[in-house]
Amino acid sequence: MCSLALWSLMRDVTAQFTMDDAVLHPGYRPEEGSDEEGLWRMMDRAEGNLQLSRFVVRDPQLNEFISDMICRLGKDYCPDIRAYVVRTPYFNASMAPNGMMQIWTGLLLRCSDEAQLAAIVGHEMGHYIHRHSIQRFRDVRNKAGLSAFLGLGLAAAGAGWAGNITDLALTASIFSFSREQEREADSVGLEIMARAGYTPVAAHEVWQQLLAEQEVSTADRTQNVMFASHPAPEERLVTLREQAELLDGERGERGYERFRESLAGVRQQIVDDELRLRQYGRSEVVFDRLIAQSPKDGLLWYAKGEVYRKRAEPGDLKRALDAYQTALDTDSAPPETYRSIVLVELKQGNKAKARSTLDLYLEKYPEAADADSLQMLFY
Amino acid sequence: MMSRIALLNWTPLLVLALLLAGCETTGSRSFGLIEAQRQTIDNVISVEPGLTWNKVRSSKFTGNIEVWTLDGPTLNTLMFFTGVPDGEPLFVRRAVNQKSVEQPPVFKSDMNPFEIQELLEATMARNFQTTIADSRGLRPQLIDQGRGFRFDTSLVGRDEVERHGVFVGTIQRNKLYGAWFQGAKHHYFYRYLGEYDRIIESAQLLIKAESD
Repeated sequence: MCSLALWSLMRDVTAQFTMDDAVLHPGYRPEEGSDEEGLWRMMDRAEGNLQLSRFVVRDPQLNEFISDMICRLGKDYCPDIRAYVVRTPYFNASMAPNGMMQIWTGLLLRCSDEAQLAAIVGHEMGHYIHRHSIQRFRDVRNKAGLSAFLGLGLAAAGAGWAGNITDLALTASIFSFSREQEREADSVGLEIMARAGYTPVAAHEVWQQLLAEQEVSTADRTQNVMFASHPAPEERLVTLREQAELLDGERGERGYERFRESLAGVRQQIVDDELRLRQYGRSEVVFDRLIAQSPKDGLLWYAKGEVYRKRAEPGDLKRALDAYQTALDTDSAPPETYRSIVLVELKQGNKAKARSTLDLYLEKYPEAADADSLQMLFY
Repeated sequence: MMSRIALLNWTPLLVLALLLAGCETTGSRSFGLIEAQRQTIDNVISVEPGLTWNKVRSSKFTGNIEVWTLDGPTLNTLMFFTGVPDGEPLFVRRAVNQKSVEQPPVFKSDMNPFEIQELLEATMARNFQTTIADSRGLRPQLIDQGRGFRFDTSLVGRDEVERHGVFVGTIQRNKLYGAWFQGAKHHYFYRYLGEYDRIIESAQLLIKAESD
């Protein structure tokens, strides 16, 4: 029933523009002088900064893919939405009320295919179409004032990755939706992705994958504001699965190959950014899942080896060497695989093996900037 | 009416005086003067700066560190590592509830210089909340006539400012000692690189003397 109602709602939204003040119609602009216009202007300024940011990924292939996907999902809303891929290694996407969407690279790493990404992007469009930001803005402002609204975002982000002051309001829009709004965005997002022809079960798979990561996390989930303000992932999982079943959940397109090809230019960078976080358990879960999907992917085996080498707990160095060897058995191992074998062999006291592997590394990668650094380790 | 006008005329000065008093109080709490003479840091490192520095008492980072600055922490910082023990992070953000985030990467006493370089890069990325963090150019460096190492760093913080840096370190008695100078690429790093090198040349490890 809920599903049918949402189908109906979405049809009304796109076909008749608006029947409900709470729903944004395509091409909408806020009334001049209104509080909503003020919020949009603030977002426009933040977007101006974002456009100049060095953290925005400008790979043309990836950006074209994202734009196409947004138009496929958003249909009549397509001209109103501008997406930016941001080089931040965590699972997140956000949408500001003025149509600025951010997709973090950590989310791209964690999606198995286009359908899973469409589920998250559809969810963000749900917030946008239902004007959750302005609802939340008015609600909090009426209760506690503007500073509290901005403060919500600051606290939620741990005053961290959200960045400088111009991004605070944006952060608030990312994190401070009510649980009810999150549930609504989940449902609308599912409808959007299903209508665009993507496999509906992909939506609950994303949360299932995030939960698997959470289970091995060293962070205390109860202290994370993100989880405090969102419905529990377990609840989301069940609800999204039930709703997907109503939409004939297995049907539709996965878009695995297209998704993979679109990431080709940035994959190694995204993997390196993940490895630098040193969240060993979580990364292991992510890479194991991706390897199960692409067992001949040398970059993923190299990454798995790096997780073990850097963690360096008992047994990890052997695990690392095994993973590096599997990487080298493929035709897609990065040259750094040899460098990592050098480091492990040195750690194990196998200087001769380390030396011969270093020679191989320099033969395969003569322009290696770290050649002298590695030579230094032998003295 | 006259008295009100007079009061209004004085108000800006009064406010200014109060603000300055506040700055003075806050400033003296946040920073301490480091004279250009031999200084002992946490009883383990002795150096002789050629310029007058400021000790940052309220650094946003915490750990086995002491932080100095010349032009303010946003523009340049010199972070001394005063003996990071096995199993401890190089530094963490003071304001972050460490329980709510993934455990930080830690120093291990069997790490080689290349691995220390990787560790600082990961620590930079985590604590400056950036993906644009890099390190390169690992090379040997004499420290207090003993073996040490040196490498260069660069990062772009969330404020989009590009900062360059240089780290010099050594592992003694299973602990990491070192000094990492970084500053805004334009002006604030390269202007004082010579001063950093003078400080490194003057460095004495007091802990080493104890063990000899």
